[in-house]
Amino acid sequence: MKTDITNMRNIGISAHIDSGKTTLTERILYYCKRIHAIHEVRGKDGVGATMDSMELEKERGITIASAATNVTWKDHDINIIDTPGHVDFTIEVERALRVLDGAVLVLCSVAGVQSQSITVDRQMKRYNVPRIAFVNKCDRTGANPYKVKDQLVEKLGHNAVMIQIPIGLEDKHEGIVDLVTMKAVYFRGPDGDDIVIEEIPDHLKAEAEEKREEMLDAVSMFSDELMEAMMEENVTEELIHDAIRRGTLSQELTPVCLGSAYKNKGVQSLLDAVVAYLPNPTEVENIALDLDNNEAEVKLESVEDKPTVALAFKLEDGQYGQLTYIRVYQGTLKKGDELFNTRSKKKFKVGRLIKMHSDHMEDINEALTGDIAALFGIDCASGDTFNSPGLNYSMTSMFVPAPVISLAISPKDKKAADNMGKALNRFTKEDPTFRTFVDPESNQTIVQGMGELHLEVYIERMKREYNAEVEVGQPQVAYREAISKRADFNYTHKKQSGGSGQYGRVAGFIEPLKEGEYEFVNEVKGGAIPTEYIPACDKGFQSALAKGSLIGFPIVGVKVTINDGQSHSVDSSDMAFQIAAVGAFKEAYPKAKPVILEPIMKVSVEGPTEFQGNIFGSINQRRGIIVSSSDEGAFSTVEAEVPLSEMFGYSTTLRSLTQGKAEFTMEFLKYGKVPQSISEELIKEFQEKNKKDS
Amino acid sequence: MVKTELNKRSPLRVFEKSINGGVGKGNIGVIASKKGVGKTACLVHIATDKLFRDRHVIHVSFAQKVDHIITWYEDIFKEIAKKRELENAVEVHDEIIKNRVIMNFSKDGTNTDQVLASLRAMIVDGKFAADSVIFDGYDISEAGAEDVAKLKDFAKELNLEIWFSASLKGEDPVFLDNGVPEELSGRIDDIDVLVTLKFEGAYVRLQVVKDHGNLETKDMNLRLEPKTMLIAREQ
Repeated sequence: MKTDITNMRNIGISAHIDSGKTTLTERILYYCKRIHAIHEVRGKDGVGATMDSMELEKERGITIASAATNVTWKDHDINIIDTPGHVDFTIEVERALRVLDGAVLVLCSVAGVQSQSITVDRQMKRYNVPRIAFVNKCDRTGANPYKVKDQLVEKLGHNAVMIQIPIGLEDKHEGIVDLVTMKAVYFRGPDGDDIVIEEIPDHLKAEAEEKREEMLDAVSMFSDELMEAMMEENVTEELIHDAIRRGTLSQELTPVCLGSAYKNKGVQSLLDAVVAYLPNPTEVENIALDLDNNEAEVKLESVEDKPTVALAFKLEDGQYGQLTYIRVYQGTLKKGDELFNTRSKKKFKVGRLIKMHSDHMEDINEALTGDIAALFGIDCASGDTFNSPGLNYSMTSMFVPAPVISLAISPKDKKAADNMGKALNRFTKEDPTFRTFVDPESNQTIVQGMGELHLEVYIERMKREYNAEVEVGQPQVAYREAISKRADFNYTHKKQSGGSGQYGRVAGFIEPLKEGEYEFVNEVKGGAIPTEYIPACDKGFQSALAKGSLIGFPIVGVKVTINDGQSHSVDSSDMAFQIAAVGAFKEAYPKAKPVILEPIMKVSVEGPTEFQGNIFGSINQRRGIIVSSSDEGAFSTVEAEVPLSEMFGYSTTLRSLTQGKAEFTMEFLKYGKVPQSISEELIKEFQEKNKKDS
Repeated sequence: MVKTELNKRSPLRVFEKSINGGVGKGNIGVIASKKGVGKTACLVHIATDKLFRDRHVIHVSFAQKVDHIITWYEDIFKEIAKKRELENAVEVHDEIIKNRVIMNFSKDGTNTDQVLASLRAMIVDGKFAADSVIFDGYDISEAGAEDVAKLKDFAKELNLEIWFSASLKGEDPVFLDNGVPEELSGRIDDIDVLVTLKFEGAYVRLQVVKDHGNLETKDMNLRLEPKTMLIAREQ
């Protein structure tokens, strides 16, 4: 059977940690007949939910890697990307969002819109992903989907509209009223398979009418036909569906569904909404960059007979070797095709092509435009673009944040050393925010990432998946050095005794640069430094920035202007001017009032209001600045800016301060100046370390 | 202009002078007007002036998005910096906002005890050495005598100056002969300083209605600039 592209959906399920998205995914797989029994995330049967394929995820009850899986719902092909909920893994989320056409934003009916939902939502906005909200856990005590809908409006700025209302809440939650069909929908049977459609119960009729009016008012903004029909009082279901769909696709409307995945309520109706309102691949504009044409933007067409363009968005190390998840943006990708990797400039042949259902796979012969599939045994990195030979397109570069924390690791024995190498090689390919290098001075292997948990998970994975036991050093913050005022230099490098001589003089000044890391300005007049040596000066200054003299970290935000100099007809060379530039920088740097910068994190703590004092106190102790606090009855959110160096071990502290009832997220915000006293300590430490080494 | 000079020349010095040096710690000040005249702008200018003088301010708001309030501060800061050609504006800005905390409460279901408990947590546990607290959107005219007493005690205990905004109902609120808005007449004994905003032609004028023990309407010779919403001297 050939798939009709318009019946295809690529969706993600994104949410705050613990709002139940893995359970929801599990139910979707079950109702789409992909799995035969339901397992809970932290279930008693020890099997764990199907999507959390990695052992570690099963143990921690969180989803780390995004696995793609394919299901069929009412003749529609749905590819589901399960995305991690913890902010330390946002690169995974961002990458998944890149290949999605639509998303379900899962929210907890009790906790509502939490900090991670805000982060995820912002990311979705960046990638223009239309979304449907699903208010989950309506069976919980304190469930209030209306409040959650209001929060979508207030906190996320969505034009959120309920298209369903609950039949009963908390332990009385039985089903939903569909406001489009104006019918009550019950999900009966032990696994909620029996959908029973009945008239709306009397006690909900008035409310249903009122909410339907609200919905119609909101969605009719997107359809003149519906508006007319409303005036003539002949509104049809098709007209409403069409209006909601238009609103959703334009990202100006967020339909809100509800239910309880755990209690098997509302999931099938959510699937209906996914099919009805989220876009198919032809309705999404995708742009590639033409590398042969100065990276000009090219609009891709979801047409089968066009040359193939596909993006490798995820690598996974499976039992049978490397699996590369791809999304086809244009053309068709067939078994046996020859493709071109535009990053490595290498051609390769498509071998086995499969569709994934979490741990089980299905062999296929071709992947159509818009589809998500996986390739076996392809050597590539995630983020690579594959083209039909002749094309040289790259999908827009994905936003990759710079790592803010590093850790020295050393293998426990020889065997571990080999395995560690393999593991690091794999992880760096999978995750661009995870980096590794060997420090030339200490000869230690350093890993860098986005947070403590981010690195912890990789160290765990090394042990479990690669049998590589490593010893871990103290986490190290990625400091920077910067200058705070202008300073002049006039430096001569001269070595003219015996052999071929070296001579070069450079003069000018350095000054702080507000935006950007480095700028080089050449104002030399009259050939005081011959033009041919100018690039050597530039290179010399850049090399001097790699390591500041305060604490040995890179120097950022420097503008170098050279305006004078001198050369020698015989003894001047590129090398001589490079050395002169390094010398010039070293001369000027101490005069330019250098300072140390540290990464400042945007921290968001959520917890019961009764623990507010403890939370405020813990931030104050960590040199943090509280930006705001928001009380919403029993729950409050604190937004703060805290130096990363003070955040180590915060999760443990917070747990003990709040009886485990508060949680926090953090992301990199900016670099900020280190206070004088701490700066002095850091400098002292650096000098002592240098003394010991020498 | 540098920061110290800016502080010296600020129209807020005129404002202070006309209320006997300021509201004073342990006291309550109120800015009253009908809706949409500029109470929030006034409060934010007063708060920003304090920040400029290295004081610590807590801004309490009800059911407004925190982002909105931050935007208010950013706008007022920008206008002041532009008008006075402030030197090192970015550095000054980054320095002073460290001394500002915004505390937001949902409009319904929050009672005075809760607000005060949160404030206490911020000042005592969070070691935020607040000098002033700005209450924007707390209806002091409708608050019970008990609540107002609690607020006063709190201000005295923690040595705070508290500013409120009072939104007067209707298009044409009634003012008594002594200049006090009728709605606030029941609370006037608890208020140490009362300032009203009124449209006069194209401008909004500031008047002192109560200055500590003195219940006598005086013109402050200040107005709100229509474009920037800054408090400015009358020309």
